[in-house]
Amino acid sequence: MMPQAAPVLGPVDPYLIPALDGVAYGLLLFVAASGLVFCFGVANILNLAHGLLYAIGAYLAAGLMDGGWGSLLLALGVGTLAAAGAGGLLAGLLAPVARRDHLTQALLTFGVALGGGALLVTAFGPDSLPVRIPAALDRSVEVAGYRYAAYRLVFIGVAALIAVLLWLAVARTRAGMLVRAAVDDADMVACLGVNPARIRLGVLAAAGALAGAAGVLGAPIIGPAPTTGDTVLLLSLVVVVLGGLGSVQGTLLAALAVGEIQSLGVALAPTFAPFLLFAAMALVLAVRARGLPGRFLRLRAGGTA
Amino acid sequence: MPFPTGTSRRRALTGVLLALGLTVASSACNSGEDAGGTPGTIKIGLLASLSGTYEAVGTEIRDGFELYLRMHDGKLGGHKIDLIVADEGNGAQTAVPAATKLIKQDRVQALTGIVGGGSVAGVAPVLAEAKIPFVGSNGNPGLKDVSRSWFTSYLSDETGAAIAEYVRDNVKGEVFAIGPNYQGGYDQLRGFTDTFKEVGGKLANPDGKTLWTPFPQTTNFLPYFAKIKASGAEAVYTFYAGTAAVDFVKQYAQSEIKDLPLYAAGFLTEGGVLNAQGEAARNIYSVLNYSPDLDNAENRSFVAAWKENHDGSPTTYAMASYDAAAVLDKAIGAAGDNPTAESINKAIAGLGQIDSPRGTWQFSKTTHSPVQKWYLRQVRQDGRALSNTVVGDLATVGG
Repeated sequence: MMPQAAPVLGPVDPYLIPALDGVAYGLLLFVAASGLVFCFGVANILNLAHGLLYAIGAYLAAGLMDGGWGSLLLALGVGTLAAAGAGGLLAGLLAPVARRDHLTQALLTFGVALGGGALLVTAFGPDSLPVRIPAALDRSVEVAGYRYAAYRLVFIGVAALIAVLLWLAVARTRAGMLVRAAVDDADMVACLGVNPARIRLGVLAAAGALAGAAGVLGAPIIGPAPTTGDTVLLLSLVVVVLGGLGSVQGTLLAALAVGEIQSLGVALAPTFAPFLLFAAMALVLAVRARGLPGRFLRLRAGGTA
Repeated sequence: MPFPTGTSRRRALTGVLLALGLTVASSACNSGEDAGGTPGTIKIGLLASLSGTYEAVGTEIRDGFELYLRMHDGKLGGHKIDLIVADEGNGAQTAVPAATKLIKQDRVQALTGIVGGGSVAGVAPVLAEAKIPFVGSNGNPGLKDVSRSWFTSYLSDETGAAIAEYVRDNVKGEVFAIGPNYQGGYDQLRGFTDTFKEVGGKLANPDGKTLWTPFPQTTNFLPYFAKIKASGAEAVYTFYAGTAAVDFVKQYAQSEIKDLPLYAAGFLTEGGVLNAQGEAARNIYSVLNYSPDLDNAENRSFVAAWKENHDGSPTTYAMASYDAAAVLDKAIGAAGDNPTAESINKAIAGLGQIDSPRGTWQFSKTTHSPVQKWYLRQVRQDGRALSNTVVGDLATVGG
């Protein structure tokens, strides 16, 4: 039932690069969307300003990177911190409506997204901005006889590392344990003496950090432009719908599926490109109202399905 | 109060997704005042996208017109001009109320600007009712009734038509056509493919039809490049603008087809996008009705004056708006002592040749769009920056 598992008919060769690129694109979406999943699954906050946090990272990458390795690291640090800070601010703004319904949160965060987006355009101008990456990465390399962008190849490795670290953090650390506990039963965690406001702040800041890091590293792929925030938000929401809440694996699978649909799917059936993604989403919603792997993982974890 | 269950959260999320899909970010902020002009003063309304997706183009259009006014002491045809600027926003939905305000409330005697073809089509009935002339400087949807509408830009299918013969002569093999699936993209690509086939060129596209990419959601063009590679094309022709143009060019330069010559409508590398594309845009051939390095007196003074207030060179958008001011300048001057909307419109029809930074052109009697020369440009080094350098003349198209 996973779209990328569909048998590839005919010659495989023209589809090798799109398939590889689907992985790069999917991993970028994973890093971008995982923060949104945490917000929604743990803090129960529907954060429509999530795309803005990515855009902050992307714009800072354009502003700080000058083609050297040092500036790349600097941009990564500053972008991650700035977006984490913005996430923290968002937690403060959301505190009065934390227990209200999702519509209230959605309106508030959507307003922040529109306002923040306008501020970014005012500060950086309405044009798409160039992102200068180190020369060693700014070229194409040969992969099994095909040309592919070096930066995207390296990005696959870095994003995979982030995915592993994220999984370790959720599965092995105390903070991760609290996060998982809050997904299962937030009231019980509150009874145990953990302040929900603090969890909310931590989760939004961590989500911001992930989005900011994705924005900096992803800037050469989904670059800084006035539409960046909307694009990333929409794709992240699709990942959340497909992947369900509260599991790193589910998000990863969904993000890779979206990446492959956008890349391999388009290469296989370009005529249907405008509909592929949302057709897949509708299909998943129709078959499993709770997302692809959510039910399975919950059951295995012994939780309530 | 219990936390909502996962199911209700999912329902909320699906609802939000739907709402997002339906949301059209709209903003229409009007500027200008209602001062009754002094005798002899003529009010002109300028409508352009000063916010939203086309802000970059809209700003160029406003600046081009204002530059002409500044270079002529704020006068057109000897009359002091009261220019009232309004925001077109993203399309007809915001453009129509803004135009209505300019016409009904500010009572402008002529309207200029307008970025989007859809906005022009939407505003057309309002203009027809008010019976005032419109000198459009960008969007040109090919209106049925152009009795009071004039365009200093071009018709969307002329760009591709102008370069088709050159591509046939210079590419040894088949050419792949690819573009975005909205009206502007359809027109641009049809102009190329129709003329290209007419003069005996052959498309590499498997079914002989242009490959359309979803707009604006396509940010990743690599799967399409794989299709082009598989088709055995010897060159590519395309049209994209804005963010899509940046993504297309940057990904093209590092793809499997990076060595295939890329020919494009000039908008692919025009203005701010060229800066964002950087090195990836080098050597791209494009066709446009203007380049800032054209060698004529009108262009030299235009570019010099532009650079006093701007970092980069002017674009075709700024040039077309500068020309709209020039058209109104000549027409108002020829419309008698007390120019009316009617007499200005008549005067535009009788203008003849117009000297412009793009070279001399004139309005077509039938389409009211320019009959003008198109230029072949290549992205080359110009001092420290890359720029669109004219490398030759292409066809004269229009009418």
